[in-house]
Amino acid sequence: MNKISLGVAVATLSASMAMAQDYPLTIENCGHTVTFDVAPESVVSIGQATSEALYLLGLGDKVAGTAVWFTDVLPEFAEVNAKVERLADNTPSFEAVVNKRPGLVASQYEWYVGPKGSVGTREQFHDLSVPTYIWPADCVGKDNSVGVDGTREELVSTEVIYQGLIELSQIFGVPEAGEKAVADLKAREFAAIERAKALDLTDTSALFWFSSAKMDADPYVAGAKGAPGFIMKQLGIENVVDSSEEWPTVGWETLAKANPTYVVLADLQRRKFPADAIDVKKGFLATDPVARHMDAVKEGRVLVLDAHAMDATIRTISGLELLADAMEQAVSK
Amino acid sequence: MRIQADNISKSISGKPILRDVSLSIEAGQSLALIGPNGSGKSTLLRVIAGLLAADSGHITIGGDRVDRLPRRKLAQRLGFVTQEAGTTDAIPVREAVKLGRTPWLSFATPFGAKDRDIVEAAMQQMAIESYKDKLFNALSGGEKQRVHIARVLAQTPQAFLLDEPTNHLDIRHQIAIMDWVKAQQGTVALALHDLNHAFACDRVAVLNAGQLAAFGTPSDVLVPEIIAPVFQVGVHQSKSPHVDHPILTFAKESFAT
Amino acid sequence: MQFAFGGVRPALTLLIGVAIMVAALGFALVIGETRIPLADIWAVLRIEAGYPAREVNPIDHGILWSYRLPRAIIALSCGASLALSGVVLQALLRNPLSDPYILGLSAGASTGAVAVAILGFGAGALSLSGGAFIGAMLAFGFVAWLARMARGNSAQATSSLALLLAGVAGAQLFHALTALIIAKSADANQARGIMFWMMGNLSGSRWPDVYLAVPITLIGSAIICLHFRALDAMTFGREAAQSMGIRTGLVMGVLISTTALLTAVMVSMTGAIGFVGLVVPHAMRFLVGVGHLRLIPATALAGGIFLILADIVARMLIPGQTLPIGVVTALVGAPAFAIILVRSSRAHSG
Repeated sequence: MNKISLGVAVATLSASMAMAQDYPLTIENCGHTVTFDVAPESVVSIGQATSEALYLLGLGDKVAGTAVWFTDVLPEFAEVNAKVERLADNTPSFEAVVNKRPGLVASQYEWYVGPKGSVGTREQFHDLSVPTYIWPADCVGKDNSVGVDGTREELVSTEVIYQGLIELSQIFGVPEAGEKAVADLKAREFAAIERAKALDLTDTSALFWFSSAKMDADPYVAGAKGAPGFIMKQLGIENVVDSSEEWPTVGWETLAKANPTYVVLADLQRRKFPADAIDVKKGFLATDPVARHMDAVKEGRVLVLDAHAMDATIRTISGLELLADAMEQAVSK
Repeated sequence: MRIQADNISKSISGKPILRDVSLSIEAGQSLALIGPNGSGKSTLLRVIAGLLAADSGHITIGGDRVDRLPRRKLAQRLGFVTQEAGTTDAIPVREAVKLGRTPWLSFATPFGAKDRDIVEAAMQQMAIESYKDKLFNALSGGEKQRVHIARVLAQTPQAFLLDEPTNHLDIRHQIAIMDWVKAQQGTVALALHDLNHAFACDRVAVLNAGQLAAFGTPSDVLVPEIIAPVFQVGVHQSKSPHVDHPILTFAKESFAT
Repeated sequence: MQFAFGGVRPALTLLIGVAIMVAALGFALVIGETRIPLADIWAVLRIEAGYPAREVNPIDHGILWSYRLPRAIIALSCGASLALSGVVLQALLRNPLSDPYILGLSAGASTGAVAVAILGFGAGALSLSGGAFIGAMLAFGFVAWLARMARGNSAQATSSLALLLAGVAGAQLFHALTALIIAKSADANQARGIMFWMMGNLSGSRWPDVYLAVPITLIGSAIICLHFRALDAMTFGREAAQSMGIRTGLVMGVLISTTALLTAVMVSMTGAIGFVGLVVPHAMRFLVGVGHLRLIPATALAGGIFLILADIVARMLIPGQTLPIGVVTALVGAPAFAIILVRSSRAHSG
């Protein structure tokens, strides 16, 4: 065979192996069947979780616009993100999204794109031939019609996070990027769990305090089946709250008497409620006539965790690591 | 107690209702205020009662200017009964009459035995004693009016102002009210629609388009020459053997003489 | 006092009312999310009064003394204030459907609250309650101004109507503003937080709140009590009251401002709790009559007791979850109102 034609043949072969994605691709996603004949040219991402997932998969140049940001973007993606148009810090309008002529709309919550979506329903987008993809963590094992943040029927696990990464990578025809990202995260997850096992935490419980609408009023705490619940379970810690709601309000009376071993405070960037700030939460724990008698408060077992790690996103794994770190430090004291 | 109105003018929402009206009622006398709709009768009564402020002119009662008297003192001297004062409250008759004592009560002088006696006497005078525990809203129009008058009686004022008290009442009750007016010792001023009732009063004042068209005794004022042009009807005066005053009859056009 | 209260029986009824109130306070201490033995409750009361008593777990002590007791007292103050405001507004505006929110106060409070929580007004220096209070007073000011403009030069009889209509307009305006802010700027968490607060919420009541709520309630109640004769005199309308010597302009100004202040303070603390101000006055009129000398204290007591009991139900009805108290007052208030309506229409025609 001719050297050039062999080279071309090899090049073509490796190229087609690199593009190992079969189209048409059909995905069952949150009650809708979405079909892709070809990788989308562009995507609008509504939700920090999906935006950061796309960046992690190296798809930053395909992102035409983002919206809904709870905190600053992860530092490793700052440069990529700076080149992407931010449609809105909060909820974007349907038209602003569609205006970008995206090949796909990805949303972190059904609250934005779903049966009662504040941006629009999935059908509205499909009518305009724009496929939609919902981050699986928001609908797998979860009923969004019950409870304001939805109710989890089963404990969430990192599997849904990995599912999201794999499916997104498949949609864009780069399945190996998805597999690599998942492999990395799994390795980190495994390592963190091993570290926690080494600490031999028995009889350890925790409470995750997100924020409170009014300073002394009943706080929003992590329910049993959301990401914080998962993190705690992986680390062998019991959640003192057993509600199936994602973020139920539970009275301080009940929480104080449950006397968890650790109190974990969410570090939010937003400042809308006074209790959003860590110092304010710490101040409350120090001065409230009931909460300050909790053993965790008296003995300084109060930990701080990035708020976004408390949602089922790629940050959950770093949340797992951070908590394992904190446990190690606390136990070694 | 003498009531005097001097040069009263009053406009409401830019429309002049009373123009330079002056009249006086001697102590113990009764005055009938008559006139077509919109002539200003109700407004004049309210100005006299101190419920509306005149644009110019002033009212004097018993030698004191109404606009200079504190409300409580004014209420102790003047009682006012308006047409159709209703209520949504389930108030029993006796409590409604007791309200009349309000201008005399204070923390220093709470409701006492003397007040109770006055209330009882007022109810007896208006023959509503038997209703005293009934709810005001369960009464008929005539009975309600008698309750209001009893309330004003309980107020023990020196003068009474009544705005069309005989409206919507059946004849029996109309006669009862006019009998009460005649028997009243204090000064009374009342607005009337039925001109024949006006014969029961000591004086009659005719208002037309906000001005005083006539003032005098019933026999002087309630005559066709004065009444016909003001009310724009035909008027005929005739004598009746059954009552001690003439009777007026009315027709759309003037009576041919 | 015999003359003023008309005898021994009303005084006895008042005493019974106070006793029921104390009993309700007791229930609110005993019943709660977590179980605390009665002996501990008694011990805590003794300790705080300065008497020796057995040791009590500091968390239980804190729960009883710093959570449940202030919460019950706030419920009392709030119930009394709202019910009194209802009584006064129903008498002054001659409208039996008046409630404390008829002048736009709760609508303004919710706008103020979302402005702080969602738009970030006050940049963290202003609390939700502070924003709500300012919002309530702004709305009230707007309504008062609008009523003044509407009344113009016309007869006084229409001024109550002008106030009522201005209240409706003002409430609609501020509700629309609230909806606009939520729709435009709120994320899921914030919208949920605000809605929970707006439906009425007594959690988070602490002693500092009591130091504000109780004096305001007592002062407001005293002012209202002093005006019982004027309120009675309004039975047949403003004109009749004036003819009986009441300076209605002054009285209405003082009393409406007092109810506005009472309501604004309560709403900013606890959110808008409905039905108390509307239903309790009617229920009490049915029980003690329309005379305000008895009606005012009866309404205050009944409102307070009602709200304590409603709070207990809100806490205990669904295990592990607290219902918004506005839901409980509505569930009880609506049928109660229906019953009163039927009964009183029979009484009226009787």
